[in-house]
Amino acid sequence: MVIVELQDVRKVYPLGKVEVEAVKGVSFSIEKGDFISIAGPSGSGKTTILNMIGCVDRPTAGTVIIGGTPTKDLNDKALTSLRHGTLGFIFQSFNLIPVLSVYENIEFPLLLGKERLRGKERAQWIDYLMEEVGLMQWHDHKPNELSGGQRQRVAIARALVTKPQIVLADEPTANLDSATGEQILELMKKINREMETTFIFSTHDAKIVGLADHIIRLRDGTVTEDLRQGKSAAERYAEGPGAAGTAAGN
Amino acid sequence: MPVLVRIAFRNLLEHKAKSLIIGILLALGVVILVVGNAFMDTAAQGVKDTFIGNYTGDIFIAAKTKSPVSLFGVQSVGGQEATPNIPYYDKITAKLSSEKDVTGVTSQVTGFALVSPKDSDKQGFALLFGIDPESYYKLFHNAYPLEGRLLKPGEEGLMISKHMADQYAKEAGFTPKIGQDLILTGFGKAGFKIRSVPLVGIIGYKTASDATDFISYADVNTVRILSGLTVGNDPDEPITAAQEQLLNASGDSLFGGETVVAPSAVRAPAFGAGAGTGAASKTPRPAAQADTGAWHFIMARVKNPAEAPALALSLNQWFASQGIDAQAAGWKSAAGPFAESIDVVRVVFNIAIIIVAIVAIIIMMNTLVISVIERTGEIGTMRALGAQRGFVRKMFLVETLTIAAVFGVIGVFLAFGAIGALNLAHITASNPFLRILFAGDVLHPAVNPLSVVWSLVLVGLVAVLAHLYPVSLALKVQPVRAMQTE
Repeated sequence: MVIVELQDVRKVYPLGKVEVEAVKGVSFSIEKGDFISIAGPSGSGKTTILNMIGCVDRPTAGTVIIGGTPTKDLNDKALTSLRHGTLGFIFQSFNLIPVLSVYENIEFPLLLGKERLRGKERAQWIDYLMEEVGLMQWHDHKPNELSGGQRQRVAIARALVTKPQIVLADEPTANLDSATGEQILELMKKINREMETTFIFSTHDAKIVGLADHIIRLRDGTVTEDLRQGKSAAERYAEGPGAAGTAAGN
Repeated sequence: MPVLVRIAFRNLLEHKAKSLIIGILLALGVVILVVGNAFMDTAAQGVKDTFIGNYTGDIFIAAKTKSPVSLFGVQSVGGQEATPNIPYYDKITAKLSSEKDVTGVTSQVTGFALVSPKDSDKQGFALLFGIDPESYYKLFHNAYPLEGRLLKPGEEGLMISKHMADQYAKEAGFTPKIGQDLILTGFGKAGFKIRSVPLVGIIGYKTASDATDFISYADVNTVRILSGLTVGNDPDEPITAAQEQLLNASGDSLFGGETVVAPSAVRAPAFGAGAGTGAASKTPRPAAQADTGAWHFIMARVKNPAEAPALALSLNQWFASQGIDAQAAGWKSAAGPFAESIDVVRVVFNIAIIIVAIVAIIIMMNTLVISVIERTGEIGTMRALGAQRGFVRKMFLVETLTIAAVFGVIGVFLAFGAIGALNLAHITASNPFLRILFAGDVLHPAVNPLSVVWSLVLVGLVAVLAHLYPVSLALKVQPVRAMQTE
């Protein structure tokens, strides 16, 4: 099942008197449950594409379809609702709210929507996520009291708290050392398998790219490779839960 | 605690320097407002109590005039408009007596005169309230005799205030003595009138005030005659050269100094025109008779002063329905320039407050703009995570109101401390302006709880106004800013 589709997407930025075409007619699709890497060197258009999939930026031309909804004609309010309901974000610089504790940062997106988990149910869900990302003992700590890896774990839990269909991660390991970066990617992959959440992350680190099931390589704003390695999510699901678990171990 | 309030409080603590800048401004604003209003309210209440309790009553009735009228007469440009008599006086007093809320009524004629001892060139100025002592003392108990006694009902005589007696001694060069006949020269609408009246008392006021210390009292008929409220005037009364000189004196010269008439201009016995008893009534000429039905003003006290405006309104409606050219008003109209002086001080204070508020808004706005710029990434992140613009707007509003509330309350405590200190300091008024402002000789400001509430509301409003521009900048922050590495 296709959850994200880009059709001939272009993005042009004005730079002084000239225009810079960051994305030049890109088309690809992402299936539900994919663990996909958008790879490429700096300036290849990774972040721009991620921004358009994340509905935080609009394409100059072409169509972006998220969960069957074309985003082109949505107003700011509808885009915000789409982001809140369908998407989760993991940022390169973690972007935690400095005045909130670990628990409160994870809880924050739940307080923004109309449909909210209440009291005990909410606390249990957040505790579960904290357990999943291994931060239970850091419950009341502020972001500035955590290491980079711990902060990114908080960001992962925050991205998952609204049970989004898609999690977008813009160079999630860029500010981490390689060992921590790998741990974070492993964690993301584990959650991808367990929760069937689609993960789309950008990176220029070849080692990390290798962890993805689906790789889209970019250069100068165009797709140079759209590669699937291993079984697709649809194939894994077709084989049943045991197969999904096996795939997670790959 | 709601997330917005939580974020607000923690941001205030996180950004201590900015919070302090804004907070100190807000707290200072509350201190200025509460202390300033305490001054204003104390002064206004002092003047109000002084006038209502001692001079004007709760309801003040006068004939309709083109210019504003007060207890001191019509305040017309150049003094052209004379104070008219109240029409249908008996009908109005009967109406007042029928009002169950009215507890007492008295009436008054206001006049001006030059005061001089017999056979003396020395003169001073007097503002005279012509009263019926019986009804007047029932309503107003401010005057008490320092020398002699109070004027008795039906008696012809004069009571001058200690302040004026001292002024005559100091500036006009004569010292009034109890029992002494004083010559009063009035200048009313029917020309100059001269009366010889015995001084029965030198009086003090229980509630001393620069606004009222110069008031002297006389029996109403004396003031009526001096003011030209007479019947049976002798049109052929001859005048002398000295009187001619007096008639030609300009208004300014009459009121500009303590000795305004040339020596020997007035010789009381030569043309004393006493209407009643006394030495001045030796003249064989027919005397001008007071118009005993003529009054300038009626003053009434009511049970519940809060109901006075409603009663004044109902009286005005009744005057209109009866075709009576009279007007009823409250104490402020009656107090005239003295009530206005408090209003003027309040207006000046309010203008100063507006200027301070504008400066505070600009400083706060700049500080908040810096805060928005610093938090661009945070705002972008919130927007990316699904926060609508309304959430961002509310977040800044709650932060602004939180800081306003916290420092507003601190400001209130500081203001109470300042007022307590001022009361303990026993600051005395060194000039007439301060005496009006202090509502007495010593500064005793008291806080009106309502003014505390209003001060907090105003400070909150200032904070809200100051946050509008910064929040408009915050709302322009796009969620894509979250993706941009700082």
